[in-house]
Amino acid sequence: MKRLVSVAVVAALVVAACGSSGSDNRIIVYSGRSEELIQPLIDRFTDSTGVEVEVRYAGSTDLAATLLQEGDTTEADVFFAQDPASLGSVADLLADLPRSILDSVDPKFADRNGRWVGTSGRVRTFVYNTETTIDLPQTIDDVTDPRWFGEVGIAPTNGSFLAFVSAMILERGEDATLRWLESLEVNDPQEFPSNSPIVAAADSGVVEGGLVNHYYLLRLRAEGEGTHSENWFIPAGDVGTLVMPAGVGILSGTDRPQEARQFVEFLLSETAQTYFATETFEFPLIPGVPPAEGLPALEELNTPDIDLSELADVLGDAARLVSEAGLV
Amino acid sequence: MTVGPLTAPVETAPPPGRRIKSSRGWWTATAIVLLPALIPPISLAWQVLTTGTGTTLPLDRLLELFASTVGLTVAVTTTALSIGTTTAWLTNRTDIPARKVWMILAALPLVIPSYMAALTIIGATGPNGLISSWLRFEIPTPYGFVGAWLALSVFLAPMAHLIVSPALRLIDPATEEAATGLGAGQRRVFFTVTIPQLRPALVSAGLMVGLYTVSDFGAVSLLRLDTFTRAIFTLYAGQIDRRPAAALSLVLMGLALAILFIERRTRSRAGYAMTRTSRARRPIEMLGWPKGLSLAFLAAFAFISLVVPVSVLLFWLIRGLSAGVELGAFWDETLRSMGVSLAAAGLAALVSLPVAMVTTWKRNRFSGAVESATWAIYALPHITVGIAVVAFALTWARPLYQSVLLLVLTYVAMFMAQSVSTVQDSLRRVSPVLEDASRGLGRGPLQTVARVTVPLASPGLAAGAALVFLSVMKELPATLLLRPNGFETLAIRIWSTTGEGFYTMASVASLALIAVSIVPLLALTYRDLSD
Repeated sequence: MKRLVSVAVVAALVVAACGSSGSDNRIIVYSGRSEELIQPLIDRFTDSTGVEVEVRYAGSTDLAATLLQEGDTTEADVFFAQDPASLGSVADLLADLPRSILDSVDPKFADRNGRWVGTSGRVRTFVYNTETTIDLPQTIDDVTDPRWFGEVGIAPTNGSFLAFVSAMILERGEDATLRWLESLEVNDPQEFPSNSPIVAAADSGVVEGGLVNHYYLLRLRAEGEGTHSENWFIPAGDVGTLVMPAGVGILSGTDRPQEARQFVEFLLSETAQTYFATETFEFPLIPGVPPAEGLPALEELNTPDIDLSELADVLGDAARLVSEAGLV
Repeated sequence: MTVGPLTAPVETAPPPGRRIKSSRGWWTATAIVLLPALIPPISLAWQVLTTGTGTTLPLDRLLELFASTVGLTVAVTTTALSIGTTTAWLTNRTDIPARKVWMILAALPLVIPSYMAALTIIGATGPNGLISSWLRFEIPTPYGFVGAWLALSVFLAPMAHLIVSPALRLIDPATEEAATGLGAGQRRVFFTVTIPQLRPALVSAGLMVGLYTVSDFGAVSLLRLDTFTRAIFTLYAGQIDRRPAAALSLVLMGLALAILFIERRTRSRAGYAMTRTSRARRPIEMLGWPKGLSLAFLAAFAFISLVVPVSVLLFWLIRGLSAGVELGAFWDETLRSMGVSLAAAGLAALVSLPVAMVTTWKRNRFSGAVESATWAIYALPHITVGIAVVAFALTWARPLYQSVLLLVLTYVAMFMAQSVSTVQDSLRRVSPVLEDASRGLGRGPLQTVARVTVPLASPGLAAGAALVFLSVMKELPATLLLRPNGFETLAIRIWSTTGEGFYTMASVASLALIAVSIVPLLALTYRDLSD
């Protein structure tokens, strides 16, 4: 018994020692983007500015919900999210960004009200197995064609799929979106929990194709696989080729507005944009920085015209429609 | 040597009036440790009552979820109990070759989290899967009910193995020898003498496995089986509004309570206490085809539960290394995982002692409620517990919000059912006579506990602490919500690396998690090996 108690005490001390130490020149970032992708970049920021960053990594939607729960009492200074929907849902907690920051990207990748700004572009794509697939979908509606029966991988519970459905609601309205989802469901799609396993499944031939974001295939190739599959950017200019920027906003309650602003400016600097292009395989959003090798320029893609600021308003409807269609 | 009537079945529930005076302090202690554990369900119910349910699921979908959850729970519980009892019996009772090696191998898969198990099953099967390419024959990936059933059964069977093993050893050989002497065959002895004496252990193992299945998310989401817990996760992940998921969690907790109610109604009250140390037992000789079959069974189990996942992890590691991926070490993460796991394990063992004492010694409606409460929290999806605790801390205990202390307390609340039940198993075997003797010799109640009860319960305390340690090492959803900023654990890194397709890093983190988890498991089986 004594041993148990002493073990517990020692463990508690170890844990306390591992905890972070305090510092004055420090901002707290809630990051919906994962540590593997982002931490090296944050380290560079600290190296070049001397501003220390304490990061809370979790899912973007999770963090948005957490921020809403914390409300004014939040200690976070910056919210860095994977998608505009998460950013939009906490817009009331965000401060107005300066014009100079907003103007550095194409206005369609920033919030209409100036609360958040896109930092890198993630494009919806149709990943397919190059050995089995011949005729590729020309529109997002082709994906629900009986030709693809049982052969399309989707991640209906994943944030990126829900953002895509939200965009479809903005493009076509609720009824048409529900019809599209229902025809997808009739076609017996293969459901996965996230994008990565869909790409792996397409590469190994478990499915012929799948609806994912474009960079997962490049990620798989960096791991030494991914040679049997390719990204296909659906050319019709519909939500099948939606650009969903990851983005960032500053909490209005921050007590370090200066450092928080520095952080946002850093994400839009050439260093960070080049990092996004070469390390996370996303599309840079400032002019003059090219995307990773093998990717077309963002302007060459036929992308839909969606007001990303409205995405958050329909996110709940998207989840409801996906469930109504029987996909989850 | 005189052999008296030493191990007759006795009612462990004491006659009315006994012990009550001395146990009032323990009731208080129980109430004190249980109050924090009740925070998650109470906070959850409070949230639903005050904010409403939002748009929940239609009734027919609820019924579907109900059917698949109950079906999976029943299937996994019976399969895992059968496998675990078989491995426990073979490695404890027979003279099978390399018995002690198998004893450890049968317990080891418990260190593998269910999401990792599912991920490696997917990596091993299918057209380009690792095993498929070894065999040059495609093993289809078992998605859906079959996949989730297999994965959870195989990876939870060690739980049953670990709980049934000590129980098997503690059965007095005299009872079985007597039955054999009276002409009963081996099979008859097993089913009519051994199994009834194992019953309390089987019930604990069954609840532990079954309610774990109810709360599991990793395996069912990756292997695509729609259960209550998966639906709850989906609701949390897909929308900012957390009310529908909270409401659904309450329904799930009701389901767990119903399972407990049924279990309680059917439970036999008889227990078997021993009043002396057990004599050495002669192992059952295994010859011919039963021996071959047993070895094949143990080997197949070890192959599926250990060789397959570890090979897939090593394959990812080597593939990544040859593609030039730079490796990171996970020292800080490993230390943090170990720290919180140790703290929670020690604390859980500590608090489970009074709870186990009052619930074993005095069976009444209140002790029944205490026991059900610990199990009901154990059955809740961890994300629900996390969100309930976040809501509680933000409103009532802001200084504790995102603190290691609150994280550890939440772990204890989530997993103390495991240590309570192993301590109960130990205590049930302690004859009340020993404690009475101690009291009769003038020892006070605290001294009796320290000198008599704790030593006698120590196998249960150690087993409970080890189980809690392993559970905390693997825990993800509540950790994500409750940890301090920057407090990444191994489980968190495995989640984030696999989510983004960093398989090489994921394999390093997973192998680290397995390596660290093996230590308490070996400590636990070491005791068994020394017999």
